[in-house]
Amino acid sequence: MNKRILVVEDQEDNRRIVRDLLTSVGFDLIEATTGEEGVRQAEIHRPDLILMDIQMPVLDGYEATRQIKSKAELRHIPIIVVTSYALSGDEAKASAAGADAYVAKPFSPRDLLATIKRFIS
Amino acid sequence: MTFLASWTRSNSITNGLIDWVARIPARVQTKLLIAFLTIVILLIILGAVGLQVLSGVNEQTQELIKLQRKIAAYRQVQHDTTKQLYNISTALVLTDDRMLDSALRQLSQFGYDLDRLEFVAKDEAELLGQVRLQYNQFVNVVTQVVEFVRSGRMAEAREIQLAQSVPLADRLERLTNQLVNIAEADMVAAIETTEQAHRTSRLMVAVFALGSILLALGLGYVISWSLIKPVKEIEARLAQIAAGEFKQRIQVANRDELGTLAADVNRTSEELGHLYQQLATASRHKSEFLANTSHELRTPLNAILGYTELIQDNIYGAVPDKIREILDRVQSNGRHLLGLINDVLDLSKIEAGQFNLAITNYSLKEVVQTVVTSTGSLAAEKKLALKASISEALPSGKGDERRITQALLNLVGNAIKFTEQGEVCIQAAAANGVFQVAVTDTGPGIQIEDQKRIFEEFQQVDTSSTRKKGGTGLGLSISRKIIELHGGRLWVESELGKGSTFRFTLPVAPDTREI
Repeated sequence: MNKRILVVEDQEDNRRIVRDLLTSVGFDLIEATTGEEGVRQAEIHRPDLILMDIQMPVLDGYEATRQIKSKAELRHIPIIVVTSYALSGDEAKASAAGADAYVAKPFSPRDLLATIKRFIS
Repeated sequence: MTFLASWTRSNSITNGLIDWVARIPARVQTKLLIAFLTIVILLIILGAVGLQVLSGVNEQTQELIKLQRKIAAYRQVQHDTTKQLYNISTALVLTDDRMLDSALRQLSQFGYDLDRLEFVAKDEAELLGQVRLQYNQFVNVVTQVVEFVRSGRMAEAREIQLAQSVPLADRLERLTNQLVNIAEADMVAAIETTEQAHRTSRLMVAVFALGSILLALGLGYVISWSLIKPVKEIEARLAQIAAGEFKQRIQVANRDELGTLAADVNRTSEELGHLYQQLATASRHKSEFLANTSHELRTPLNAILGYTELIQDNIYGAVPDKIREILDRVQSNGRHLLGLINDVLDLSKIEAGQFNLAITNYSLKEVVQTVVTSTGSLAAEKKLALKASISEALPSGKGDERRITQALLNLVGNAIKFTEQGEVCIQAAAANGVFQVAVTDTGPGIQIEDQKRIFEEFQQVDTSSTRKKGGTGLGLSISRKIIELHGGRLWVESELGKGSTFRFTLPVAPDTREI
């Protein structure tokens, strides 16, 4: 069975890049375009990994991460946060929210893949 | 004094008094002057009272002297009367002419005594009248006796002497004794009065002095507290303001300059509160702007670089070499654009004072190795040797690892960019709690005139040559800012034609003055 990755990202292009990359290496993808949808999809599908964009309207990535990590049945899912590195302290905020790793935008898809592979194969 | 202060401060009457004085709408100077004037007036009154008492004492003394003179006069009369008798008796016994003359002379002397007596004892008119009467009679009798003695009628002289002179003399003596007794009684009474007066005035002066002292102290205490209380409150409030607390306001009863001062302090506090708010808002806006701009600029670039990389990785199918080559150029331009955007964003942050460091523990060795890995291919392309000489026992450093890496990357990148042949060498050591890093290249070197300029924003060594090399001219100024924020120094040692060495120091554990 293929491992499933939930991608929470509001930008079309970024989502496509991740989709094309991850599907080509054999992952199944679940997509969400807002933080709330992301939390919902996580509950429904219980993915093996979550890729969480930070800069999203309404519910931002940190809050969505916090919410997912606060649910007992979802806590075990590794979350990789994708930040824009606008301000130092993004890393600290990410770990404070409970993220397991972070990647800076713009990311090299190869590097992203390497980080994902740290958590699931 | 503090015990006294705390004891009396709990007394609400004193508090009420202090507040009442504070509320007086007069200038502080005026209040102080009035206080001092009051004390001066008290002193003057005290002096006047003292003088008054002294003059009273003086009067008493004068009285006593008068009485003393009276008594002396009476005694004199007694003495002279006795002498008269003695003279006449002697004359009778001796029938000497000289004695008789002397007796007569005595009589006139006696007259002076009486005159003096009348002068001194004006208030004993009745008694004096009697004395004069008796005296006149005595004078007559003595004159008669003298006559008889002169004319040899001794027996008659003796008879008159015995029958009249002696009794008259006795009567005179009794009268003068009466006068003396009166005078002495007066004297005793006068002394008694003086003592009494002395006791009274002593009490009065003591009471007045004590009263003045208490009043002066009380006045001093009340006025000084009415001035100190607001000063203390203002001082406390200012200390709060200095600590960043702008909300509270002070209440002060004074209606003088201190009251005005307190009102000013309140206004200042309010103003500062507003300004602080505005500053906080402005700062927040700046942060939000930078965050948004950063996101907006990086997002499309992420797409460009992401897609190109995917294409290059054959995700969309095999890529012909020619297209691959072009794609490489697209990618390198994209990366270059990303570098420019990052530099410009960093610069905006520095300008806006938003360039903050995220302090963590880092290993300088790892930082150098990261940089070497990143720039390895670049060096290889230009056939330059890239060497790193890292000291063995490097301590763990405290700082923003990402930014320090950025700075070192900039220096090494520049070294590679500007060197055409030879090598780029990185050295890292530590001494006295300070990291010492050097990036040496075998490039063209930098002229003395340019060595300062290159650290300034938008400055490059030579705009024509660097248009080929690329770059915004921001890298060095950003690197220097990073190093300086950590408490270190960045400088260059170079000679034209002899390569360059960029050195920086970095405290191992800086006391963070940022964030």
